[in-house]
Amino acid sequence: MFSRGFLVIVKREIKRFLFLYKQTLFPSVISSALYIIVFGAAIGSRIGEIKGVEYIHFIVPGLVMMAVINPAYQNSSSSIMQAKFLRFIEDILITPLSGLEISLSYIIGGAVRGVLNGILVLLLAYFITGLHIENWFLTLVYLSAVAWAFAGAGVIVGIYAKSWDSIMVLTNFFLMPLTFLGGVFYSIEMLPDFWRNISMINPLYWMINGLRFATLGIADTSHALSLGISMLFAIFFSTLASYMFSKGYRIKT
Amino acid sequence: MTAAIAVNNLRKIYEGGLEALKGIDLSIPEGSFYGLLGPNGAGKTTTIGIITGLVHLTAGTASVMGYDTISEFRKSRRLIGLSPQELNFDVFFTIGELLTLQAGYYGLSHSKAKERTTLMLEQFGLTEKRKSRARELSGGMKRRVQIAKALVHDPPILILDEPTAGVDIELRHMLWDYLRTINKEGKTILLTTHYIEEAEQLCKTVSIIDDGKIIATDSPKKLTQAHGMSGLEITLSSSSDNLDLDSWNYKKFDGKIHVDTIQPEKDMAEVISHVVKQGGEIENVCIYRSSLEDVFMKLTGKSLQDESDSIETQKDLLSV
Repeated sequence: MFSRGFLVIVKREIKRFLFLYKQTLFPSVISSALYIIVFGAAIGSRIGEIKGVEYIHFIVPGLVMMAVINPAYQNSSSSIMQAKFLRFIEDILITPLSGLEISLSYIIGGAVRGVLNGILVLLLAYFITGLHIENWFLTLVYLSAVAWAFAGAGVIVGIYAKSWDSIMVLTNFFLMPLTFLGGVFYSIEMLPDFWRNISMINPLYWMINGLRFATLGIADTSHALSLGISMLFAIFFSTLASYMFSKGYRIKT
Repeated sequence: MTAAIAVNNLRKIYEGGLEALKGIDLSIPEGSFYGLLGPNGAGKTTTIGIITGLVHLTAGTASVMGYDTISEFRKSRRLIGLSPQELNFDVFFTIGELLTLQAGYYGLSHSKAKERTTLMLEQFGLTEKRKSRARELSGGMKRRVQIAKALVHDPPILILDEPTAGVDIELRHMLWDYLRTINKEGKTILLTTHYIEEAEQLCKTVSIIDDGKIIATDSPKKLTQAHGMSGLEITLSSSSDNLDLDSWNYKKFDGKIHVDTIQPEKDMAEVISHVVKQGGEIENVCIYRSSLEDVFMKLTGKSLQDESDSIETQKDLLSV
């Protein structure tokens, strides 16, 4: 089903973000370190514990998700946009690779970057806060599913976008607000009923909630539902991305 | 024998309604050097785009070595190397890495891809530039990389879209020699160009395309014979008033006689003999022959000269 060429594009995508490590890996580590120091250490000591967990540890899963979602999305969307913009995407479109192979290779590239960012932030949290991971396997499952989902979303936007603005619109107007409102810095149990119900329709809340269960062993709501939602988004976005690539939507004339 | 490339009744209507191809047929034999000659907007790049999978076709079929370009795209695309007109390169990688990646996309193993990369770099005189990025290269070098990239997976068919656009004469001739060599070695080459001389020099068969239609296909020589004019231009030092070449189609003007014939070299002696017998004193005799440009103008009513930075004069005047 998958040819050797597929693995070459995956390799190309990974080499691309490693080549740009100052843009692709360092920023999330630095911003997460600042969040941990400012919110966790400085403010957290006044907040105390949430669900029996120190505040500085409570915020780590949300920060990890921030470090996973945005880079995974940015990687695939900007890589495709750049290839479209500079027209070297034709180098790939003329090869014997199918739309499914091409889209999956971009998704894997983005997902690897997302997971790598997530792991780096977890390591950072370990060194700064002494965080102990409850379930490494489940943590990696969440990181992979969420990174995959948003790398898939990045492929869709990368194909659809006609300008760099379109890519940033999703980051600035959707991903960033939904992440912050998804319970990175608080438990939704601290919110009034109305806002709690609003939070429940935010898919990023479920993803953060699931990772919090995997890393800290605490959750506001069902961890199984969180895993299901993460998987569903991963499947939906990658299917749609593959369909768009196969049809050549906005890539072929 | 299966054609290397065959397109049947190919039509393409772009979004917005532009009809780029109006039902074209092409059959390009294996091992041939085939030219698609036409002005910008004639449909050359669209045709290539459909064959290589970059453009959706509206109707008709396209196949490569008998493999349908849609239902059997994996097999058909593996057989083609494309050098697009525009010089676009993956900005993150060096020339050597670019070639190895491109070979890898076609399924070559890493060691084979490296081997082919080394060979291509050598053949195109790029070995010293293997660690450079495309932006660091001159236009001519970029063009060489572009063609090397098309050949790195060793396809039996090479498609070149305006391969010498904007390159200097030295490189143009180097590329021509290289293309002749690989064609002799068995590669089928489809070349689009609006340089008349390029088509005349390289192609065994030329299709003239205009406004989405193929309007003539034959060898450059036969096209000029069938649609052009040739003959003898005789300059006299005596008066031409009393001369009568009744068995020939001829015109007199400015002390010269133009005799139309499709075989000027063969008829030259007989015509000279006629003139001399009637007392004509010949100062000079020239053969004139229509170029492919003249044929193109006659068939399409358009000139290619305006858009091509013409390589050399198209007149083939042989002074004797």
